[in-house]
Amino acid sequence: MGTHIENLVNQKVEQIKNKENIFDSGTVIKVKDYIIEVSGLENVTYFEKVTIWEKGMGYVNQINENSVTVAIVKEYSPIKIGDLVKSTGEQFKAIFAKQAIGRIVDIFGTDLLSGKVFEQIEYINIENETIPIMDRRDVKRPMLTGISGIDLIYPIGKGQRQLIIGDKKTGKTQICLDTIVNQKSEILNSENSIICIYIAVGKTKKEIKTIYNELLKRGALSYTTMVVATNDDKQPVISLIPFVGLSIAEEYMKMGKDVIVVIDDLKKHADTYREISLVSNKTPGREAYPADIFYLHARLLEKGCQYKNGGSITILPIVETKGGDITDYISTNIISITDGQIVLSEKEFAKGNKPAINYKNSVSRLGGAVQKPEIKKLGANIRRTFLSYLETKEVYELANIDEMTLELRNKMKIGKQIQEALNQPKFSPLSNEEIIEKFEAIVKQEGKIDEN
Amino acid sequence: MKVVGKIINISELSVKVLLMDNNVQLRDILVCKNNDKEYKFEVVELEENIASLLPFNRVNGLKKGLDVELQEGGLQIEYSPNILGRIYNSYGEGIDGKEEKSIEKKNVYERSLSVAEISIKNSPLWTGIKVLDFFAPLQKGYKMGLLGGAGVGKTVLIKEIINNVYKKFKSNAIFIGIGERSREGKELYDEMKADNLLDKMSMVFGQMGESPCARSKAVYSGLTTAEFLRDQQNQDVLLFIDNIYRFIQAKSEISTELKRIPIENGYPTTMASDISEVEERINSTDLGSITSFQAIYIPADDITDDAVQSISTHLDGQIVLDRKVAEKGLYPAINVFKSSSKAIDPEKIGRKHYDLVQETLKYLSRYEELEEIIAVLGIDELSEQDKIIFYRSRKLRNYFTQPLFVSENYTGIPGEMVDIEDTLKDVEDILNGLYDDVDEEKLLFRGKLNGERKE
Repeated sequence: MGTHIENLVNQKVEQIKNKENIFDSGTVIKVKDYIIEVSGLENVTYFEKVTIWEKGMGYVNQINENSVTVAIVKEYSPIKIGDLVKSTGEQFKAIFAKQAIGRIVDIFGTDLLSGKVFEQIEYINIENETIPIMDRRDVKRPMLTGISGIDLIYPIGKGQRQLIIGDKKTGKTQICLDTIVNQKSEILNSENSIICIYIAVGKTKKEIKTIYNELLKRGALSYTTMVVATNDDKQPVISLIPFVGLSIAEEYMKMGKDVIVVIDDLKKHADTYREISLVSNKTPGREAYPADIFYLHARLLEKGCQYKNGGSITILPIVETKGGDITDYISTNIISITDGQIVLSEKEFAKGNKPAINYKNSVSRLGGAVQKPEIKKLGANIRRTFLSYLETKEVYELANIDEMTLELRNKMKIGKQIQEALNQPKFSPLSNEEIIEKFEAIVKQEGKIDEN
Repeated sequence: MKVVGKIINISELSVKVLLMDNNVQLRDILVCKNNDKEYKFEVVELEENIASLLPFNRVNGLKKGLDVELQEGGLQIEYSPNILGRIYNSYGEGIDGKEEKSIEKKNVYERSLSVAEISIKNSPLWTGIKVLDFFAPLQKGYKMGLLGGAGVGKTVLIKEIINNVYKKFKSNAIFIGIGERSREGKELYDEMKADNLLDKMSMVFGQMGESPCARSKAVYSGLTTAEFLRDQQNQDVLLFIDNIYRFIQAKSEISTELKRIPIENGYPTTMASDISEVEERINSTDLGSITSFQAIYIPADDITDDAVQSISTHLDGQIVLDRKVAEKGLYPAINVFKSSSKAIDPEKIGRKHYDLVQETLKYLSRYEELEEIIAVLGIDELSEQDKIIFYRSRKLRNYFTQPLFVSENYTGIPGEMVDIEDTLKDVEDILNGLYDDVDEEKLLFRGKLNGERKE
């Protein structure tokens, strides 16, 4: 013990000789996974970037009376007690580079395909203050996915936050990729330019590469950037990545562009945040998540909006569920933040209905407000007819068909046709006109179906 | 302003200050200026010469050793007729860019009313929403809770009530947005403006993207404005709170940050008293009344949740929105078995209404049982009597759906208001079999019925 203090004193004397004062430097006194405690650093600001001499980098996540807690974002070699930590005088920031379009970038603005940092970069805040209420405008312009089950029945508007939720392997990411690819044709008839940002929250490198290749193959990379944290990145990096992605999105929005952001996925994000909170000794709440888990996702998703300058950020967050249960804590939290949800179900997937949308549980809170008049009326009609069919189907499944009224039999027949028409293979988008043509044909038969 | 201390500790949601002045008390506002940026805090704990503070906004860029000053008067909001037509943030600052004329301000932590001051004279207040007026009728001065999980239609229903009640009665209203979507707040503002109703309403917003401090203060600021209308202008005020659960949620975040020991599910130990402090201010006097509608979020669809239960003990009536009903496409998605009000009493609503409610509930609860039987055996196996109950119940169920004004965009059907007398007559007719020959589809999303039969 005595030698340790002696060492510290000697170190301080050394520092004073080197004209490094304790206000700008400190030493590591505790290492706990990716959270370290540092004595010294008297002059740092909250969320300042600090460097651990030749070993890594982190940001200040708590300032105590006698020490500072730092979350590590980069570690080249193991950090030990006594390592020197230096302040940088700058906030920990994200990097905005226009050249990142078409590339895969990490939180430090490194191009992961070439390993280089972009030439023209701009430092931006990882998180800005929430966009004021009065700077928001109505969400009313359609954001077309090319998927008829969405564009017709549960439409998404520019500036909307629409959750994509479902079990593993039900096609959540696929819906988002379809949406990104569909923007290729949308760019041609849109007054604003469109930028897509795919944010990977702790995905495997293989998954990221697969998605990159899909987008590359379909020519979607000319307007898409992938902002990623791989699952072997430090936990603080994974927890910050969605904020970095949205901060980049805000830059584009403020230039008047329509930005579409996919966050894949927020359940993983919640779990990562829970881990960091517990490692930092925060009191656990429901399901051991910290009390501010709702605030975390609320302030993230509130960045989605139709902005006053005409630009917008549409967010498609993904949440993975277990056993098809969308009423668990994290899912309901996020449902209560977003403007609607597309629920995907294993059951529908198994029946061969693709996209495997569960139409009974899906919702769009904006509905017809974001549809063009031509499709709005048809959409409302199809949705009503189809939901009523699904409900009736359950009750009358065992009833004797011969005893059904003609009306009921017609309803069953039309419902079935709608179900079939909603099936659509991946990457085969339909325009609004094609959707209208297809479904109007079904509705028009109403009342014409004969007794057979 | 004078310097009262220095910052010694900073974490994401709280800051500690070493005081050099004993004249600081709980709920005081302290201010710190650094690099042109102003940070504000509220004092929440005092221990010897250390004060724990809640930051109004994010603390990025703040550092140790900075001076903090005391702001006189604490948290205040405008207390004058000028509040109407204005929109404020949780801290009582106007955010609509309008000029503030003659500012009279008042601290937002008002005392609650005494037993002697409270008035409980009641008169009915109809909303024109069939299922609400029928199963959970409302009276002036009531506290009505709208409970529901995520995405089952609380906000839509509260907007419909604003539309119907507020437009019909033309009384002044206060809207408090707590921890809900900014988009919806802005839409409400725009709609009110478009309908020329803004000058009769005042809004306070502490929305979901804002700090826990902001979300926990909006309700106090909003209540102070409501009390102005009640106590100074002697008005009957409508108060809309969307969503009161978020107030407790914000309090949990704060409590965790202060390292206080939580109760179940991370809720603060002071939860019951926090709610009482707010709810006891929402009351009526002989001179003015406050009728409130409070949306209550049900986390994880768990209605037994402690916070939900603590809030609902204060209510005079409640409407419970149910995901299972919403899944069937029946809107408003109300669970009629869990919805009720203190006005369900023959002395208050009359014998006829009372009896019809009992009879309807009897039908619908039998229907629930029959649904289970049908799932196994099919409809054909039911007795004749049960078949009648089954079909009439389905008609009742469909009848209680309604096209809403605020969801016209969604349904494509224009909204309708229904007089309670019409609702009672229609329900009676359905129960008496007058609609037995009508297809059940025809009763979906209708206003009142016109006595149509199948030819």
